[in-house]
Order: sequence, then structure tokens, then C-alpha cells
Amino acid sequence: MLKNRFLADKRKITKAAIYAFLLIILLLLPKLGISIYYVHILIGVFLYIIMTSSLRLINLSGQVSLGHAGLMCVGAYTSAIISKNLDWTPWLTIPIGALVTFIIAFLVAIPFSRLRGLYFTMVSLFFGMAVLAINEVFEKITGGQSGMVGIQRLFGVSKIPYYYFCLALMIVCLFIMHRLEFSRIGLTWKAVAQSHSVASSTGINEARQRIICFAIGGFFAGLVGAVYAHYYVVLSVTTFGFFTSIYIFIYMMVGGINSFYGPIIGTTVLLLIQPLFHNVIREKYIPFIFAGVLLIVLYLLPKGLFGLPEQLRLWTRKLRREEKTALQEEVIHRAPRN
Amino acid sequence: MLLEISKLTKTFGGLTAVNQFEMTVEEGNIVGLIGPNGAGKTTIFNLVTGVIRPDSGTIVFDDKNITGKSPHSIAAWGIGRTFQLTPLFADFTTLENVSASAYLHSRSNFWRTLFNTQAYCRNEAHALEKSNQILDLVGLSEVKNELAKNLPHGYQKMLGMARALAVQPKLLMLDEPLGGMNASEITFTMEIMKKMRQEGMTILVIEHNMQILDLCDHVVAINFGQKICDGCVADVTHHPEVIKAYLGE
Repeated sequence: MLKNRFLADKRKITKAAIYAFLLIILLLLPKLGISIYYVHILIGVFLYIIMTSSLRLINLSGQVSLGHAGLMCVGAYTSAIISKNLDWTPWLTIPIGALVTFIIAFLVAIPFSRLRGLYFTMVSLFFGMAVLAINEVFEKITGGQSGMVGIQRLFGVSKIPYYYFCLALMIVCLFIMHRLEFSRIGLTWKAVAQSHSVASSTGINEARQRIICFAIGGFFAGLVGAVYAHYYVVLSVTTFGFFTSIYIFIYMMVGGINSFYGPIIGTTVLLLIQPLFHNVIREKYIPFIFAGVLLIVLYLLPKGLFGLPEQLRLWTRKLRREEKTALQEEVIHRAPRN
Repeated sequence: MLLEISKLTKTFGGLTAVNQFEMTVEEGNIVGLIGPNGAGKTTIFNLVTGVIRPDSGTIVFDDKNITGKSPHSIAAWGIGRTFQLTPLFADFTTLENVSASAYLHSRSNFWRTLFNTQAYCRNEAHALEKSNQILDLVGLSEVKNELAKNLPHGYQKMLGMARALAVQPKLLMLDEPLGGMNASEITFTMEIMKKMRQEGMTILVIEHNMQILDLCDHVVAINFGQKICDGCVADVTHHPEVIKAYLGE
């Protein structure tokens, strides 16, 4: 008992030390003289980590959404349109964008909640496409295919304030999502995902839980979209297209869908591949690279990149066992026979 | 009467699964629902618990008309159930299964949960204690940290019952609780049912294993979706229609 407690405490301390170390590194990175290009890339990583984690949050209730970029689009355009037309500060329009996305996600989730599995995934995909189509219908306000320009900046031209803001935003969002997942709310969502009939028989209104889960996931996606709009200052519908939804899904799968840390790892690794190896990998090859990495992970790492250390331990153990067996067989073979 | 079913009918396409079925369950009793395979027993369970809606007829539970209500509302009104094929929260541990099933009694709203308030922590500690007590009762305390999917069949059946008990029901509906159990597990399960009756729980049970009749205060026999007869165990087991249904002409 005491030993278990000691081990649990030790694990907690190690975890806290790792978090502190990572935080210090991330806080110091801009001061360590990394180029502004990498600051820009890291801002994208922070924002997409929230996106991928919120997609996984929706997945906790058993819903695989392929329209997540659509929700991001709602947040981005809502905030941009309000701030541009009414000249409101982004500090106000960003929360409004997130809230509007929450409401829209909530409303669409009501009919969606009647569908499960592949059928849900299909309608979520169409939702993503519908958002883009609506965007084009209201061309006068949204700019349609030509996109939207002249959006207010959240901070000045320098990227450093954005870096710290997005880092803080990511930490807060991850903290909330962690809290949600490892509380009764998360337990209920996971119960709904595993068996809706059993969940209902215990009094869980499973449709309502899936609606709430989708709406909360939508809130985070809308929030990211809104911040994105006031950072990039230019919006184009292609940013929120089908491929973006697919990429977010791939980040989640590569990192590990069953772990809270999976989306963080997956997004970081995949978004840093191209910038780190830009001499070797051209941007047009990115889809192939992502598909390749996804295939390798699916074949070799059932728990995604998050499960890599555990998988390595398993492989090493297996290798050692095989070596031992081979050695034993050799000894038996060489032993003198009577 | 705790449960009153009258003129309940359900058809699937051309097949009448339940036909003008009537039965009552008195508070504090163990009532057995018996009948050959395909007689419509599980369909009646699904109709009572709201999994499927009846074509006609009424179901009154605790003086409330629950006909056609949703499964979660019916659970909230006090009906807990197990399933024949033991579906569980397979990727949860035994304890998590029971704890998640205590959803109705967790009493914490969204914001309290999100901000991890003292009230939330207290409620969760209470739910955990209650879950541990239920696991003690059904003898699963030793495997509380095992994943439900890794448990042997008999244990999974018991976990199904523990899950239903976590709802803290007034009426517990057990669908073949002894199915696939060995002799000692059957004795143990029946002991638990006896204990629950002593504590005032009402139980409606479907079972093929006739040992269950030793426990029943009242038995209802059904075939082709219709009630053949009901009464005390001796009356039902000697009823010619029941013998015909099980053994043929």
C-alpha cells in the first residue's frame, strides 16, 4: 500500500517536472533566438493542438467528426465579420465567435444525435462542406472564393505576443479538456461511446450527452478559428476545407486516439516535419508524407506515437526472449549426447 | 402494485412478438417470467424499459404511465435492468462500470464538475463508496481494477447486476442472470437475489434455469407473446399449457 502510494507520488512528481521543463522551454524559445519563421510555425502548432484535442474530445462520446474545420470556419468568419463591419475589438469578437460556433454546433448536433457511427461521420462531413457553400452564398459579406482581407489584428505586427497568447490559450484549453475528460462528464461520454443501450439503461440521456460533447468541441474549434482570423488577418475558404478536417483527423490518429496526449504529440510531429526538413520535403509532398506516417503508425503502433515507448519496450523484450531461446537451443544442440 | 402491464402488443412486420400481454408485479416480490425461446420475454423487458415502443397497451410503474417513454427516463423513475448478452462498458474497469452507472446519483452539475468544487469531490467520493459497497455485495471487489472485457463470463454477469444496482432501482429486471454460470456462481447469484429481496427490492426475472423458481413468489408463463398462465410456482409448473409449451404435445 505504502509502496503503491510512493510510486504514485513519484509518478506525479515526474509528470510535474516534465510539464515544468516543457513550459520553461516553450517560454524561452523565442528568447533563444529561433527564427521568426519557427515562431510562426509554433503558433500554428499551438492552435492546431487545440483543434485536434477538441476533435478527440468529440470522439470521447463515440462521434468521429470529419467536419471539424467547418466549425473552425464558423468561428473565424463570425469574429472577422463582426470586428470588421462593426469595428469591435477582437478581444470581444473572439469569444463571440467561439460562442456562436458553440450554438451552431449545438443546433446541428440535435439532428446529428439521431445518427451513429459511419452515418454521423458522413453528415459531419457534409456539414463541413455546407459551411463552405454557405460562405460562398454570402459572398458580399464573406468575400466568397476571393477570401476576406483587412481583418483587425489582435496584437501588432510582431509575432512574439501571438506566440505567448496562443501558448497560454493552448494551456488553458488543454487544462479544461483534461478536466472534462477525467471527471464524471468524461466518464459519461466514454460510457455513451462504449454502449448507448447500457448507458441509457443507467439513466444517461445519451443523445443529450452527445449533443453537449459536440457543442463543447465546437466551442474550442470556433475559438481557434477566431484567433486564427485575427492572427493571419486574411481568410480563405480553402483553409477550412475537407483536407483540413482530414489532416486534423490524421494528427489525432498518428498521435494516438486513446490518449489525451496523443493529439498533442501527433499535431506537433506532423506539423513540424515539413518546416524542419524543408530542404528535403516540398510542401506538395505533404499529403503523401502524412499518409505514409499514418500507415506506418497504424501498422506498427496501435496506440499511436504516444504508445511508442511502450511498444519499444515490448519489441526489446520480445527480441531478448528470442535471443535467449536461440541461445538455449544452441546449448542443447551442443550438449554431449549419451 | 409496483408494475402493471395491460394489453401490451408489439408486432415486428408480420410477427406479433407480444400479444395483449398482461401482468403485475407486487412490491417486494421476486417475479419470474418464463417461457420457451422466442416466447417474447426479452421483448417485454425491452418494452417496459423503453428500448422499443409498444403498438398498444399501457405500462404503469409506481403509479406513473411509462408507456413509450425513453430508456433514460424510465431508469430515472427507478427501473434498473441487465441484458441477456451482458453488454458492459467493456473498456472500463469493473469499478468504473459501476461508478459510471451511478450517473443518476452523482448529483453534480456541469460547472461544479468542471471546476472540481468541494461539493463535486464529496459527491464523487460518495458515489465511489457506494460503488465499492455494490461490488462487495456481488463479490467483485477483488477484480475491481480489472477491465470488464477481461473478466470471465460469470463475473461479467455479476457485473451486469452490479451495474443495474448502481441505478438504485425500485424494480430490478434481470434478463437471464444465471445464463452461462457454473453451479457455485448460480448459488451465489441466488443468494444475492434473496438478500436483495430481504432488503425490500422488487425483482422481475427472466430465466431458463428452473432453479430460479425456488426464489420466485409469483411466476408468469408466456408463449408466442401471450400469457399462458400465472400464479405461484407449483400452479404454473403443473399447468398443462406450460408443460405443452416446454415439452410439446
